Amino acid sequence: MPDLDKLHQAVIEGDWKAAAAATQAAIAAGVAPLTIVTGCLVPAMDEVGRLFECEEYFVPEMLLSARAMKASMAIVRPLLAAAGTEPVGRVVIGTVKGDLHDIGKNLVASMLEGGGFEVIDLGADVAPERFIEAATTRNANLVALSALLTVTMPSMKTTVDAFQSAGLREKVKIMVGGAPVTQQYADAIGADGYSESAGGAVALARRLAVV
Amino acid sequence: MKLELHPHARQTLADGLFAAGVEFPCGGESACGGCKVRVLDGEVPVTLAMRDALSEEEIRDGWRLACCALAEGRVVVEVEQWSLRVLTDEARVPIEPRAGRGAVIDLGTTTLVVQVVDLTNGEVLRVETALNPQARYGADVMSRLQYDLRQPGELGRVIRQALGRMLGSESLREVLVVGNTAMHHLFGGLNVEPLTHAPFVSPTLGGFRFAEEELAWPGPAEFLPCLGGFVGSDLLSGIVATRLDQQTRPHALFDIGTNGEVVVGSGQGIVCASTAAGPAFEGGRIGAGMRAGTGAIDNVHVRDGGLDCHVIGGGAARGVCGSGLVDAAACGIDLGLIRANGRLTNADKRLPLADGVALAQSDIRELQLAKGAMAAGLRMLTGEGVEKLYLAGAFGNYIRQASARAIGLLPEDLAVEPVGNSALRGARMLLLTPSTRKARLRKIVALSRHVELAADPDFQYLYAEMMALSRYRLSG
Repeated sequence: MPDLDKLHQAVIEGDWKAAAAATQAAIAAGVAPLTIVTGCLVPAMDEVGRLFECEEYFVPEMLLSARAMKASMAIVRPLLAAAGTEPVGRVVIGTVKGDLHDIGKNLVASMLEGGGFEVIDLGADVAPERFIEAATTRNANLVALSALLTVTMPSMKTTVDAFQSAGLREKVKIMVGGAPVTQQYADAIGADGYSESAGGAVALARRLAVV
Repeated sequence: MKLELHPHARQTLADGLFAAGVEFPCGGESACGGCKVRVLDGEVPVTLAMRDALSEEEIRDGWRLACCALAEGRVVVEVEQWSLRVLTDEARVPIEPRAGRGAVIDLGTTTLVVQVVDLTNGEVLRVETALNPQARYGADVMSRLQYDLRQPGELGRVIRQALGRMLGSESLREVLVVGNTAMHHLFGGLNVEPLTHAPFVSPTLGGFRFAEEELAWPGPAEFLPCLGGFVGSDLLSGIVATRLDQQTRPHALFDIGTNGEVVVGSGQGIVCASTAAGPAFEGGRIGAGMRAGTGAIDNVHVRDGGLDCHVIGGGAARGVCGSGLVDAAACGIDLGLIRANGRLTNADKRLPLADGVALAQSDIRELQLAKGAMAAGLRMLTGEGVEKLYLAGAFGNYIRQASARAIGLLPEDLAVEPVGNSALRGARMLLLTPSTRKARLRKIVALSRHVELAADPDFQYLYAEMMALSRYRLSG
C-alpha cells in the first residue's frame, strides 16, 4: 500500500500537510479507516517514540510528528465513529491542578491517540472534580495525570483520592507521569502505573486497558 | 578540590558538605539527582532512591546522592563542581551625601552579596559574599517553597541570621534588600502557598520593613517590593540600574539563570515575565557540568578545524561550565558536529572537548531546553523597536555573545550590553538617593505589568520552536 508508506513517512517527518494528503489518498483508494490507524499511525507513532528514546528526536520533532498524526486522525476519526469502531480504550488526560505545564502532557496525549486510544484532553490546571466528571460522562477506563513541578505533585494524590471517595477507583485505572514523578511516588499515592516516557505511556496504557 | 569528611551517625553527606561551605541543589526529595557527588574514598552505601536517580555506571564510578547518603567513618568526595564565583558591583553611582553607613543586600537563590556603603561619599567599604544557606533545603525556589510549607518560617530564620552575620556589628543607618518573590516571601515569613501553584499570584508582593531589634541586625531593613509572579525586587533594582523607567524608547533587561527573567519597557510602560530555564547554564543536569571554578572549560574556540578549550586555572579539564557549554555548542554547529535540531552527527553521539571531557546528546538536549525557555520568553515580550538588550547577572557577564547568538539564545538583530550585577547596583543607587527613592519605586511598580508566560497557549509552541540551535531575529 504505497499510500500508507507515504503517510508513515509524513508522520515520522512531521509533515502535517503530507499526512493529511496521504490520508485522503488512502481513503480514496479504499483503505479501511481502522487499517489507517492500526496499520500505519500506530506503528508510525511507535517509531517516533523509539526515535525519542534513542535521542534521535527531541521535543520539537515529537510535536511536529504529533501534529501530522493529528491531521490524519482528524480525517479518520469521523469515519471510525460512523463505522461504530471501538477504540482500544478511552483515556481522560490532563495536567493536575496548580500546574500549567502542557507540552509533556500533549505529547503523551498524541502518542496515546496515535496508539489507537480515544483521548479526552482536559488541558492544564485540571481540578479533581473535572477529571471525575469527564471520566464518568465519557465512560473512560483510563485516567492519565501529569505534573511537572514537585509542588504540584500532591495534586496527583488529591485526584487519586477523589476518585476513591467518589467510589470510582475500581472503574478506572490511573496512570501518572511528568519529570519529578517516580515509580516510587506512583506506588505511594496508589496509582496503577507510571511511565518515564511518552512512548512508554502507550505500552503502559495498553497493559492497563487489557486488565 | 577533594574534601575529607568525617560524618556523624545519621548525618547525610549533604549536611557534612554544607558545613564545609558546599551548596546543595536538592531539597532532600531524593528525586532530582541534582546533588550528585563523587565519592573518591570511603564507604557510602547505595540506597533505593540512588538506584532510581543514577545509572548503574554512575553508581560504579562512585556517584551518590549527597542528600540521602549516610556514611560512617572517613569519606573523601569531589566537590569542585559546586564551587562558584559571585559577581559584585562597584560602579560609581549618583549620591545625596548623608552621615553614617548603610548596606545593600542581593539575596539571590544561590548566592548572597552584602555591600556596606559609606553614605557620605558612596564608597563601597566592604563586600561579603556567601552561598545562600537555604540551598541545603533545595536548589530551586520551588523545592524551598515546598519546604517552607512543611516547616513554616525556618528558611526565613536561616536567611535572616546568615545575612545578619554578614552585616557585622557596626551600626548601619539602613539596609536595603532585593531578591526574587520567593526570597522576599521566605525572608519576611509571608505565606508562600499562593506561589506554589498556578496562577502563582501572591497578595503580599509589597515591600516591608523590619526595625533593627526585630532582626537583631545592626540597622533597620527594608525589603523592596516585587513586580509580580516570581519577578522580584532584584529585577526592580535592575530597572533602576539600567534606567529602563526613564528611557524614551523601549529597552530590554535579560537575566539568564535557573530562573530567567525578561523585562521590556520604557518610561511609557514595562512588561516583565519569568521563565524556568533549569540549571544548565550553571552546569547543572549536564553530565560533565560544573560551576565556573578551577578545571572548568569556560571558553571554546574553533582552531584548525578542531575545538580549542580554555580551562580555568590552566590545568587539565575536569568539566564544563555554562559559558563553555554555550561556546562548545556554537563551535559544534560551526564544524557541523551538531545539527540545528540538536542532534550530534558523529556515530558515538558525543562531542569531545578536552582531557576526556565530552558533551553527550542529553547535555545538548538540556541546553536546548534552557536556551529555548529564555529565548521564547524574550520573543514573547520583545517586538520590533527595542533599542538595546541589557544582559544582567553572572552568566550574562561571562558568556561570549557571538556564541550566544550562534545557538539562538540571543537574537541577531539587537545590540547587547552586559551590565553585571544590576540588582546590587540598583539597590545601591536607591540607598544613596533617599529623597527620590519612594517616588521612583512607586512609579516603577505602577508602570510594570507581569505576564504569566505559561498561561499563554502559544508559549509552549514558541518554546519548542526556540529549542532549535539556530540564529534568530526578533524582527521580520
